[in-house]
Order: sequence, then structure tokens, then C-alpha cells
Amino acid sequence: MLRRLVQVGARELSRSQSSAAAAEKWDLYAGVLVERLPVVSKSLNPLEKQFQDMLWRVEYENSLKSDHELKHEREIVQAELIKKGKMQVDMEDSGSKQTAQDRKDAYIEELKKFQLGARTTPDDQAKKTSSTDRCLEDTLYLLVQQKLGQQEHLVLPQGKREEGESMRQTAERVLRERCGQELQVLFYGNAPVGFHKYKYPSNQRTESVGAKVFFYRASLRSGQVAEKVAKFEWLPKEELNGKLKNAAYAESVNKFLL
Amino acid sequence: MSLLGAFARLGLQRSGGFTGVAVARCFQTTSVLCAEPLKKKKKLDPQIVKQREDRKKKKIEKQIRRLEKNARQLKPVEELEVPLELIDEKDKRQRKLTPLGSAELEERALLKKQWAHYKHEERVADFQIIDRLVQAQNKALAELRRESEELYQAAIEIDPQLLPVAVKGPVATPPIKNYVSPDGDYLHQSMKWEVK
Repeated sequence: MLRRLVQVGARELSRSQSSAAAAEKWDLYAGVLVERLPVVSKSLNPLEKQFQDMLWRVEYENSLKSDHELKHEREIVQAELIKKGKMQVDMEDSGSKQTAQDRKDAYIEELKKFQLGARTTPDDQAKKTSSTDRCLEDTLYLLVQQKLGQQEHLVLPQGKREEGESMRQTAERVLRERCGQELQVLFYGNAPVGFHKYKYPSNQRTESVGAKVFFYRASLRSGQVAEKVAKFEWLPKEELNGKLKNAAYAESVNKFLL
Repeated sequence: MSLLGAFARLGLQRSGGFTGVAVARCFQTTSVLCAEPLKKKKKLDPQIVKQREDRKKKKIEKQIRRLEKNARQLKPVEELEVPLELIDEKDKRQRKLTPLGSAELEERALLKKQWAHYKHEERVADFQIIDRLVQAQNKALAELRRESEELYQAAIEIDPQLLPVAVKGPVATPPIKNYVSPDGDYLHQSMKWEVK
């Protein structure tokens, strides 16, 4: 009951506020920040590398010898005894026996044969910005070519809210319209993560003064932007800042980038 | 009784029509109501009842006591126990390394300090990022509220589809495409317990 009263009160408050600001009408837009999360871990910087080496050394010093190491030592001692002629060579045994050294060589050979996945991809070398299979260490953000006013701009996908939609629904619809159906993303909650507003040029203002863009964060699950719909680029943070031409927009976006 | 019923049904099946009905009349198809009168309930001596209850209580108390006695004894976890051979052969297995020089020790201590500073700065930077993100979100929400209370209420609602969320963390090397993992050897390791 009390909560309801508070809600009604808040609604009336907002109504009175909006009536005061009725002179200026703003269009509401939803923008989507789609990020491809890092696939591989960050490479270590020199200090981290140094510290890791030290930890490994300490680990080695504190460790006990394994069965394999003991066997190896025993065999070395035996080999020396045989060389000196103090021990008889067991002809039946030595042929079939696999020494610790043999085993070690075998598994090193096996490891060499195995090819690990490369941390850099062909798309890295080709600088193919439309691919999500590059810059595996960094988060990539999606920029889409979009017409705002007269000109085309490279921005985060955005679109106008329609009557009856919540901002989250707008964001989902906008992403489908701008990037096609194949892009599967996970939206992080119903609340916007960032905000940007800009005024339209004075000759284009008809009923509203400008646009208020509410940004939603989403992470890429699978799929890719449909190529036919629009030109797009996946960029890490530094390159992203180079591409955003409008300084105020770049500043707003940077506020909610990681 | 059931035997009779079965016979009755048998009769009915064998001879259809009027004769069947006549045969069926000779048989009793309902249960016979000629049971023995109920036994008179024996009245127990209240003292015996009390004794029995006492005995029950004592038994439970004894069980509780036994449990409490063993409460501090934990079941051994095999994986957590140090293997006996390691304890026995500890001298044999310890590495005989030359003790570290003072220069090496000094270097390690310095490196640890440097590391602590580095991690501290990293942590502070993380907190600053979190602050910045929270601020950006609060500003967005405040702006949304100024535009419309309904949209704001919709925005602060909890998204039930978000949980449980599955995220695969960054790995050292990316997965190899179309890689088929070879089958390893199968070792059945679980213990067998036999009842004596």
C-alpha cells in the first residue's frame, strides 16, 4: 500500500516535471554496445613474467622429487657402476626395459607433435576489421555505419524508440534491424549503461530539439552482422576512439567502456 | 470367497441366457458378513507402559551420546591425505640445492615489493573503472527518469533471463577449430567395498 502511494506520488512528480519541460521535446533513442569478450588471456608484461618465473622457481625448490626423477637417478648410478665393471649387465632385462630418459624423450617428442592454437589469427595480419576472429586478447566493440541526419556516421547501432516499447525492447529491435537476425547477443539487464544527447541542426528541428541516446551493453554469443544490411567494424578500444569523429560522442561512449 | 466369485463368473460365461441367471442365483457373489466379534482391547499396566517409554528414551539418548562422542572425528578424505610413501621417503626425495645467496634473497624480496605495488595500482585502477561505470549508469537512469517514469520503472526491473549466465573465460590458447580429442586410457579408480 505504502509502496503504491510512493509510486503514485513519484508519477505525479514526474508529470509535473515533464509539464515544466514541455517546451523542449527530445527524441528517445536506444543504442547498443555489442562487445566480443576476449578469447585468450592477456600476454604477460615484463614484471608479470619476472614474478611468474620467480614463483615457478620457488615451487621447484619446495617440491619433492617425483618417482620419475628417483628412477632416473637410480639408473644413472647403475649405468656408472656397469661402466666401471662393478656390476653385471642383465642382458635379458636391458633390452626390454624402458629407462626414465627414454620415457622423457618420448613424451617430449609427443608434445612437439601437438600444435597449439595460435594466439594471432590470419585476420590479425590482414587487419580485417569486419572479423570477430582477431585481437583475441582484447574486447572488440561493434561499430555500424549509420545515417544520422544527412551524413553517414560510424557509430554504435542506434534507433528511435517507438510508442509502447521499453528502452530494452527498443534496443533489441534496433540491433535486429541494424545487424540482421543472425547476431546472437546477451543483453546485460534492463538498465541502460550509458547516455548521450545531441541537438539536431537548427534547420532540421521540427517538433523535437534533439536526441537522447540510452546505451545498452550486450555481449556477442555467436553469429555475425549480416553484410548486406550495413557496413560494420569490430574494433578494440584504442581503434574505436580513432574512428569516432564526434568528440562529444566519443567522450560519452568512453564513459562506459571498460 | 474369491473362489466362489470366480466360479460364479465361470458359470455365467459358460451358459448364456436364462439358464445362466438361474445358475448364478445359487452362488453367493457378495462378501459374507459373518466375522468374529472384535477382540477386547487388553488394558496395559501403566507402569509397564512407562517402563517401555523409558527404555526407548534411554536407547535414543545412548545413540545421541555415541554420535556426540564421534562428532569430532571426521571421515578421512583420501585425496587430501599425504601418501605414506612421501612421508617415509621424505629425506630421499628432498632436493639438495645450494642455499640461496643473500643477493638472490634480496632480489626476490624487492621483486615481491614491486609486485605488491603493481597489484595495488591495478586494483585502484579497477575501482576507478567500476566507479566510472556506475556513474555512467546512474546518469543514464536519471536522464531516463526525467523523460518518463514508466520507462525508468521498466529499466530498473530485474531481468530474470540473465541468470544463470554461462561465460567461458579467456584461455591460454584459442580452441583449435574442428579438433577431435583422442580417446585416452580408461582407468577405473573407484574403490570396491565388500561386506564382511
